[in-house]
Amino acid sequence: MRLLRWEAVCATVAFALTLIFILVPGPYPMAIFTFIAQPLFGIVAIGYLLKVRADLRKRGL
Amino acid sequence: MNLSYLQVVMVLGTLVCVLGVILCIRTARTRFDHDEAARKEVNIGIARVPALVFARLVGLMALIVLPAGAVFLANYHVFEGVHEVRGCASCHVMLPMVNDMKDPESGTLAARHYKNRWIAEDQCYHCHSDYGLGGNLEAKMTGFRHLARYTTRTYHEPIKARVRFDNQNCLNCHEGTPRFEAVQSHATAHVKLVANQMICLNCHGQSHPTTVQRTPGSSDYARLMARMK
Repeated sequence: MRLLRWEAVCATVAFALTLIFILVPGPYPMAIFTFIAQPLFGIVAIGYLLKVRADLRKRGL
Repeated sequence: MNLSYLQVVMVLGTLVCVLGVILCIRTARTRFDHDEAARKEVNIGIARVPALVFARLVGLMALIVLPAGAVFLANYHVFEGVHEVRGCASCHVMLPMVNDMKDPESGTLAARHYKNRWIAEDQCYHCHSDYGLGGNLEAKMTGFRHLARYTTRTYHEPIKARVRFDNQNCLNCHEGTPRFEAVQSHATAHVKLVANQMICLNCHGQSHPTTVQRTPGSSDYARLMARMK
């Protein structure tokens, strides 16, 4: 595993959007969290797990 | 100090998100194949661990553990934070229902429940509880569809309910009470009421303003749409 840059950047954006919804709840922040931040967290998790899997395979584990 | 669940969620959510951002920035700047990092050690208080192992732990926290916490807390906020009447009123298409409910002159079911204090608080949620965390999947999907259509402005006024109202929302409070049991037709129609084959409104009148009243341009529209103070 070399870098987790795009995953970290996407997660940062998702955290920021989630924080906006938590602090200023309303229909638009809720929609941004539900339809953008939440899927972004999912994409980040998939990207991270794929890199971990590739790293473990490279080491023969 | 009396903190509500929602305030606790807000504080915890803020902490999780801020910590997540800090760890993400750190993770974005880490090279996991750096030879020097493999030799260095980091003191974490109770033990010294290789810097690379520490960096991987930080990565796991930033990209899996904290996002899971943030998603859980924010979803709790979504499902439980919408209990309050002002939560419903934050979407302007709901203003006619909320304004009518708070109008002491109105005779709709919602207004009668409100002015007579039959429901002390969270009045919208008490009758539409399917939207909450304990509601069914269909109600959740309906909620998401409403959210998407409202925020993308792909709806037409007056709004119409596509999902059939579940009589259980009424029966939860009324069934078994002496006044309910004293009415013969309730016993006659009980099976149909439980199976949602007939609705309570068939006998008990309008729950909210009519479609005609909520149509833009109607004589009642401006009054019903006035923003609450």
